[in-house]
Amino acid sequence: MRSIQQRLSFGLISVLLVAGLLLAQSSLWLFDRSLRGYLQTTLQDEAQALLGAFERGPAGVQLDERRLSAAYKRPYSGLYFRIDFADQTWRSRSLWDRDLPRAQHVGLQRELGDGPQGQSWLVLRADYQRFGQQIEIQVARDYTPILNSFRQVQKVGLGLGLAALVLILLLQRVIVSRALRPLEMTRQQLKQLQQGQRNQLDQNVPLELEPLVAQINHLLSHTEETLKRSRNALGNLGHALKTPLAVLVSLASREELKRIPDLHDSLNQQLKQIEQRIARELGRAKLAGEVLPGAHFDCANELPGLFATLTMIHGRHLQLDWHAPGQLRLPWDREDVLELLGNVLDNACKWADSRVQLSVSSSADGYTLCIDDDGPGIEPERRQDVLSRGSRLDEQVAGHGLGLGIVRDIVDAWGGTLELSDSALDGLCVQINLPAKRA
Amino acid sequence: MRLLLVEDHVPLADELLAGLTRQGYAVDWLADGRDAAYQGATEPYDLIILDLGLPGKPGLEVLQEWRSNGLSTPVLILTARGSWAERIEGLKAGADDYLTKPFHPEELQLRIQSLLRRAHGLANQPQLEAAGLQLDESRQSVQHKGEDVQLTAAEFRLLRYFMLHPGQLLSKSHLAEHLYDGESERDSNVIEVHVNHLRRKLGREIIETRRGQGYRFTGAVP
Repeated sequence: MRSIQQRLSFGLISVLLVAGLLLAQSSLWLFDRSLRGYLQTTLQDEAQALLGAFERGPAGVQLDERRLSAAYKRPYSGLYFRIDFADQTWRSRSLWDRDLPRAQHVGLQRELGDGPQGQSWLVLRADYQRFGQQIEIQVARDYTPILNSFRQVQKVGLGLGLAALVLILLLQRVIVSRALRPLEMTRQQLKQLQQGQRNQLDQNVPLELEPLVAQINHLLSHTEETLKRSRNALGNLGHALKTPLAVLVSLASREELKRIPDLHDSLNQQLKQIEQRIARELGRAKLAGEVLPGAHFDCANELPGLFATLTMIHGRHLQLDWHAPGQLRLPWDREDVLELLGNVLDNACKWADSRVQLSVSSSADGYTLCIDDDGPGIEPERRQDVLSRGSRLDEQVAGHGLGLGIVRDIVDAWGGTLELSDSALDGLCVQINLPAKRA
Repeated sequence: MRLLLVEDHVPLADELLAGLTRQGYAVDWLADGRDAAYQGATEPYDLIILDLGLPGKPGLEVLQEWRSNGLSTPVLILTARGSWAERIEGLKAGADDYLTKPFHPEELQLRIQSLLRRAHGLANQPQLEAAGLQLDESRQSVQHKGEDVQLTAAEFRLLRYFMLHPGQLLSKSHLAEHLYDGESERDSNVIEVHVNHLRRKLGREIIETRRGQGYRFTGAVP
């Protein structure tokens, strides 16, 4: 797709070239015409003057040399005549060895005649009746200086025109980029929109852009609403299913059913699968994606509440610590970060003997979350197993199963990585690397 | 132990009622948030099981109202909304424990037991122990001098209440309020009968009678 700038430049250049050439050429033509008209009258005067110089001498009709202009006597002076009588022809001395051909018709000749030394002649023929004779007088004048100056004007005009064209193009560029600035602003806003720094485009735009911006905003709110609705629908469905599921779980553990172990086991297994599936899908549906900075996770604000909850769940025998640089904010939805940390920490608490530690750090590349416990840990060869098991529901075991599956979903959604290693506390270390958001 | 169950899903409430009654709890059941807010604050419950999605008034609001009015009864939240953000919110509103649906009935039972023990300053005990007696809450029997002593349901309830309040003076009406739900007939003579049964099984000195005042669980094992 070519840019608007290019299109405008191309259009402008062609219009300006056509119009400029037409204008220049037609004005030259008009000027030439009027100049020739003017020269016609002077040539007519010349012819009259020649006629006036006729006198009757001893050898018949002759020209009075004294009344002739000096230019007729100097060779190739630029002014010539030829006078035709019925039986003889007179030529001006200035013609020298050249011939001024007889013109076909009376008046100014349309075509310029060829002259010596590269001259072009403007030729006028006038017919008279004098001394009882038919007299044809032809006067010619060198037109080359004027043609030369026309050429000069053309050259200068072309140069000036080109310079003007360049100037116009430069100005046009400035004007266009100025006029398109709102478009650039809108583009920036769209980028911010994508990064979640805003949720609507600025409505204060030029008239031409207004429908576009309004449409985008409309589309945005529509999409958001649809997304929210489907998320809510999924959430409601999941939550609505959980209560009847609780009833079923309760029914399945009745004494009557326990007497039929096969039935009891497979019922429980299926119910467990339904439960895990619902929890997993609910977790995925909830992943909010890009959010406004206001909803980001503020470590100092959120972690105490999370750790208080963990202490409540796992009892007070565990020593839970967290380290995070003050003011550190993780640029993701706070509920998602809570879900991520809650699940990993909950897992760590289940396995830990006495200590669980969370440390959050940030670098230029992103953020690192380390969760250490002093529990039994996992042997290196089984770690990959544990990680991949999270993604397969049917193979899950309580503990390192579902929780890690949800954690993986979240980490994957954010483009991060999950690693298991030996902890400094002698247990397992779960390290989560999250990439920084591209600016 | 008298519990308040606030749950609007009738089949689940029926299941829970049946299960909890089997475990020797006196349970009152409410389905509406507004009723719960009132009754939870006026009746002397030992523990409240609260669902969050309630008609009338949201569970979290009910809980906040109780806590701001100084009600200190342990509250266990029972909800389908299991995200960590919601758990933290529940804790901040004043809940003591949080159980997400679906749950195993035994899980609920364990949570209730440990919550009750914690509320009476007996945390971190796998079994309820007081004054040389060990109460097995799942089998409803008591270990006395290394011997298993079987208890009837009524004796079990009474002994559990005594063991959770060792050394405290408990009047008959107080015991009646905490051992029977709001629907049942309260006859203080019945309590007298059960106290005598316990004394016969575990020794006379275990429960001391203060004339005109009530009973005191001394746990004095001869």
